[in-house]
Amino acid sequence: METLYLIFIDPFVQMVVEPAFLVEVLIGGLTSGVMYSLVALGFVLIFKASGIFNFAQGIFVLFAALNFVGLMDLGVHPILAFVITIGIMTALAFVVDRLVLRPLVNQDPIILFMATIGIAFFLEGFGETLWGGDVRPVRVGIPDEALFWEAGFGEILVQSADLFAGVIAAFLVTTLALFFHFTPVGRALRAVADDHQAALSVGIPLNNIWVIVWAVAGFVALAAGIMWGAKLGVQFALSTIALKALPVLILGGFTSIPGAIIGGLIVGAGEKVFENYWGVPLLEGATEDWFAYIVAMIFLFFRPQGLFGEKIIERV
Amino acid sequence: MTRPGDILLSVKEISLRFGGVRALTDVSFDIHEGEIFAIIGPNGAGKSSMLNCINGFYHPQEGTITFKGAERRQMRPHEAAAQGISRTFQNIALFKGMTTLENVMTGRMLKMRATLAEQALYFWRGRREEIEHREKVEEVIDFLEIQSIRKTPVGRLPYGLQKRVELARALAAEPELLLLDEPMAGMNVEEKEDMCRFVLSTNHELGTTIALIEHDMGVVMDLSDRVVVLDYGKKLAEGTPDEVRGNQDVIDAYLGVSHD
Repeated sequence: METLYLIFIDPFVQMVVEPAFLVEVLIGGLTSGVMYSLVALGFVLIFKASGIFNFAQGIFVLFAALNFVGLMDLGVHPILAFVITIGIMTALAFVVDRLVLRPLVNQDPIILFMATIGIAFFLEGFGETLWGGDVRPVRVGIPDEALFWEAGFGEILVQSADLFAGVIAAFLVTTLALFFHFTPVGRALRAVADDHQAALSVGIPLNNIWVIVWAVAGFVALAAGIMWGAKLGVQFALSTIALKALPVLILGGFTSIPGAIIGGLIVGAGEKVFENYWGVPLLEGATEDWFAYIVAMIFLFFRPQGLFGEKIIERV
Repeated sequence: MTRPGDILLSVKEISLRFGGVRALTDVSFDIHEGEIFAIIGPNGAGKSSMLNCINGFYHPQEGTITFKGAERRQMRPHEAAAQGISRTFQNIALFKGMTTLENVMTGRMLKMRATLAEQALYFWRGRREEIEHREKVEEVIDFLEIQSIRKTPVGRLPYGLQKRVELARALAAEPELLLLDEPMAGMNVEEKEDMCRFVLSTNHELGTTIALIEHDMGVVMDLSDRVVVLDYGKKLAEGTPDEVRGNQDVIDAYLGVSHD
């Protein structure tokens, strides 16, 4: 009886009794969720344009952040470091296209997937060789202070860095969504994603498009890397956190930009709420690490194409 | 009837192999400006391979293709498209997630002056171009009578209409040479009649040169000015529909006399 009470009644009682805490939990969840979205977006971009599930996207986040922080530690101005890192990610996109994608064009998706696993491990090692394996703090002047907000039902504590990250991520996500939908390049990208042969026949050069997409994904990875880095420091565990994007993708659908966004928010908010109201009282916490994966698995049973996916996932 | 225009595309002694398989052997023919040229032959004769060579999907090991007086051996598909060769596919290759309008707009891709990067960065210029190209696209849409499905995602359209959208996308590029790979395959009689009408009016009103592959002999004989017959990758005959119809080799190929 006691357990049942803790599962079905108590959490909701708590939510009603202390709404301010619930709001804090939700805000915390949504802000980390928006970062999951950002990482997931990188996956979606590449999957949409080339049908490749880029396992290396998580490492991209880490690699971009490492370069950015490394340059800053060398005394480079943050804005310059940002620009240089974008250059590095674009060059990386170009190299990946020439050395990996082009030789493997028309191979099975699984082979391309394996190739991206190779890229992932290479970059992880290469990043460590370049910049060492220490945890590095990111100091880009994102204000990090506690803000108190007086709501009608109590006082709410918010970290300004969280809000900042949320706003940046929301901006990026919106821009990319608009870009995909309303510009000729966006249309070209979608065309390539839809049918390679047809895209070629109307004169879209596949290779350029792939470089563009991988570069955009690199840019998104950089943004995500800086946000995560500011929160947790740039460390190799970032690539594991980035894998949270997988359940996000399963929830949202592999080909949908809005799906990545909403999936990220659901996972972020869901895991925080579960942790605070069910995880801690019942399971002594640490549910955040696996909650998203369980949700993703349940989703796979009932809606394998995700909330907004176009069709059953066939290429993973 | 043969219309004696200048030679638009000249295929000379093309051979194409995939490993040990000879898809095309020593095939030559000319396509003249303003004509409807049909490539026919039994299954596996190399008809689609021929089209794929012309628009650059395949690169023949031997032989040359001369388009508008310029000879080339290795050409990429987007380069062929840039020179004025558009095509449709045997198994419809449309962008299924996009609407009819968006699909047809992709046909204008090459007419857009701004480069991809420019379009991404200068939203305004991209915007202005978009409007210019919309006008042309709307003309094509009117021409092919697909106004009512402008905003429908093409994945939801019936087969016959999808074929028509594919034709619209090819026409939006204002091609000089239009390649149609079995434009009427799998259509019912009514859809076929529509398609024939559109192919003819494309040729007559827009003056587009057309090379088409078709299995329906009635259609081929009615539509085309000249016909080339392929069998096992080799050219069997070339001429007006009447000449080809009377050719003994062609009759044998279609009726299945053993090749010995």
